Amino acid sequence: MSIQLDALESLRVIRSLMERAHIYRAISAPAATIGGLFAVAAGVAGAVPGVGEFFSQPRPFLATWLLILVLTSAANFWLLSREAARRNQPTISEGMRMAMRTILPPVGVGGILGIGTLLWSGDMGMAATYWMLFYGLALLGTHSFSPRSLVWLGWGFIALGVALFAVLGSGYGDLQTFLRSGRGASLAMAASFGLLHLIYAGCVCMGSKPEIRTQQ
Amino acid sequence: MIDFDRLDKTIHEKARLSIMTLLASRAVWSFQELKAELGMSDGNLITHLRTLMAAGFVEEKKDDTGTRPRTTYGLNEEGRKRFKEYLEVLESIVRAMRPPA
Repeated sequence: MSIQLDALESLRVIRSLMERAHIYRAISAPAATIGGLFAVAAGVAGAVPGVGEFFSQPRPFLATWLLILVLTSAANFWLLSREAARRNQPTISEGMRMAMRTILPPVGVGGILGIGTLLWSGDMGMAATYWMLFYGLALLGTHSFSPRSLVWLGWGFIALGVALFAVLGSGYGDLQTFLRSGRGASLAMAASFGLLHLIYAGCVCMGSKPEIRTQQ
Repeated sequence: MIDFDRLDKTIHEKARLSIMTLLASRAVWSFQELKAELGMSDGNLITHLRTLMAAGFVEEKKDDTGTRPRTTYGLNEEGRKRFKEYLEVLESIVRAMRPPA
């Protein structure tokens, strides 16, 4: 019987290592918290009458969200670098390369579509829709190596993006007009890029376990 | 009847099995990545890597083009084949544990 138990133990080691070797969390929980807080702050500020007048034009709206993207991406890169250094691994690891190869094409296309929509038609609601949908698709694309929480985050963005798209195209006059405006689009951005990232960060923190090290 | 001697003794050791598993999961691993993932000391890891290289399963590559020299490891064809065979033997042992349906 011992050889069989030994075989089971070997298979358990193999399975555990294979799973860990293939998992890469491209968005750290602290970075998601930072980005989420920025997005909620900007989104709520953009929706407040008076304060939000600044966001009622496409260019300031675009500049604000690009700034949040740059700040959050920089924070995420710094946090991932720190984590890699702690683990004695290179910052640009194979996992990061794999994540970039998966995430950058849809995020790039969604970004260009959103910026084009903003600049050519001024439709801020539709720009937000493109950003949500393509960001969600980018996260779903990482399903083969991401933890489940990141995939669920992707589904959250897809669901909100589809819902926003449906409302924008449905012809509910007032709501449609509101969501195409800077105030409505700011609230949609706060709900998606803000709240969803905060929920994700909360779930990661609550579900985090100490690392299991293979015995020598 | 399972032939237990088919279990490769070089691979069937917990540390070397862990190394082989990681090397099978992707093409190239740096020494530092292996060390961090497995939580082994430098000496222990290099000893097992040398055993696997001596068995002809693992290949070492040194890259001096960057700012720091980097040593990477990967399974060669023979290593992949032997790891696959090892897994098949393990599976047959586990299958033999199950009571007949």
